[in-house]
Amino acid sequence: MSMPPLDQDGYLCNLDDWSCTVAEQLAAREDLQLSEAHWEILNLLRAFYAQFQLSPANRALVRYVAQQLGPDKGNSLYLNRLFKGTPAKLAAKLAGLPKPSNCL
Amino acid sequence: MARSMLLISRQAPWAGPAAREALDLALAGGAFDLPLSLLFLDDGVLQLTSGQQPQQLQQKDLGANLQALPLFGIEQLYASQRSLTERGLQHAELGLPVQRLDDDEVRQLLASHDLLVTL
Amino acid sequence: MTTLHILSTSPFADQRLASCLRLLSPGDGLLLCGDAVYALNPDCAPRQALELMPEQIALYALQEDLDARGLHDWPARLQVVDYPAFVALTLDYARSNSWL
Repeated sequence: MSMPPLDQDGYLCNLDDWSCTVAEQLAAREDLQLSEAHWEILNLLRAFYAQFQLSPANRALVRYVAQQLGPDKGNSLYLNRLFKGTPAKLAAKLAGLPKPSNCL
Repeated sequence: MARSMLLISRQAPWAGPAAREALDLALAGGAFDLPLSLLFLDDGVLQLTSGQQPQQLQQKDLGANLQALPLFGIEQLYASQRSLTERGLQHAELGLPVQRLDDDEVRQLLASHDLLVTL
Repeated sequence: MTTLHILSTSPFADQRLASCLRLLSPGDGLLLCGDAVYALNPDCAPRQALELMPEQIALYALQEDLDARGLHDWPARLQVVDYPAFVALTLDYARSNSWL
């Protein structure tokens, strides 16, 4: 299956192009194999975007995950480990969201 | 200790870029854990009304974005009671959990922050 | 802990001056620059409001903006400042608020 159009940073140009298969393909480009734990965060991110219409920066992501899944997962250590040290950027990319704009 | 900032957003949501700029500044400040409060004043309170359909103007949903503020650590949210009343919004349901302040309380709010930014 | 409020737009075009006047605290200063100096036009409502401010509020205006607009009839309480004095004022007050 061919990859839908991406922007220069590798984020989907159109949010509607996202699917689980696309997420797997995007993850493969990052040498990442998606596990249940990854999916849990990706689904949460898509819910965040549906509600707030923006991609969270790291702190907001950590807070949101803590709020929804508890402190065991809502902490930087856990999220950094899952998403190679840049959870807000990488997880947003795999979830098909725009690049977080308030994230350096 | 970082200096505390009060951001005063006083323009209507779709009148120009000011409301969006104030929100972006708040979100950026929150992302860096700066002690930041946000006051909606004058036409700025019009950002708080519910049921807006910005997609009609091909605009991003400012109201939805504003609701993310607490998750970005911006929990000190205020609105001028006078500005709300002037615009007939004193009983309206607002899209954000803001604390309503009378003029005296707004004066105290201004005096209790190190930096003021009005947009 | 006082504030220097800085206004730069015409008082006849928007609500900034009116809104600012309501939020002044004793010890605050109000500096007019750009088109905000039109608030000093003789016999207009904004000028009256400025003259009626409590004494503990200092009123300043930028010299070159007054001159450029041909305003020479100033209220007695007005302190006319140049740019270096403007900069010094921002240091005298605990904070400044530019009504952009």
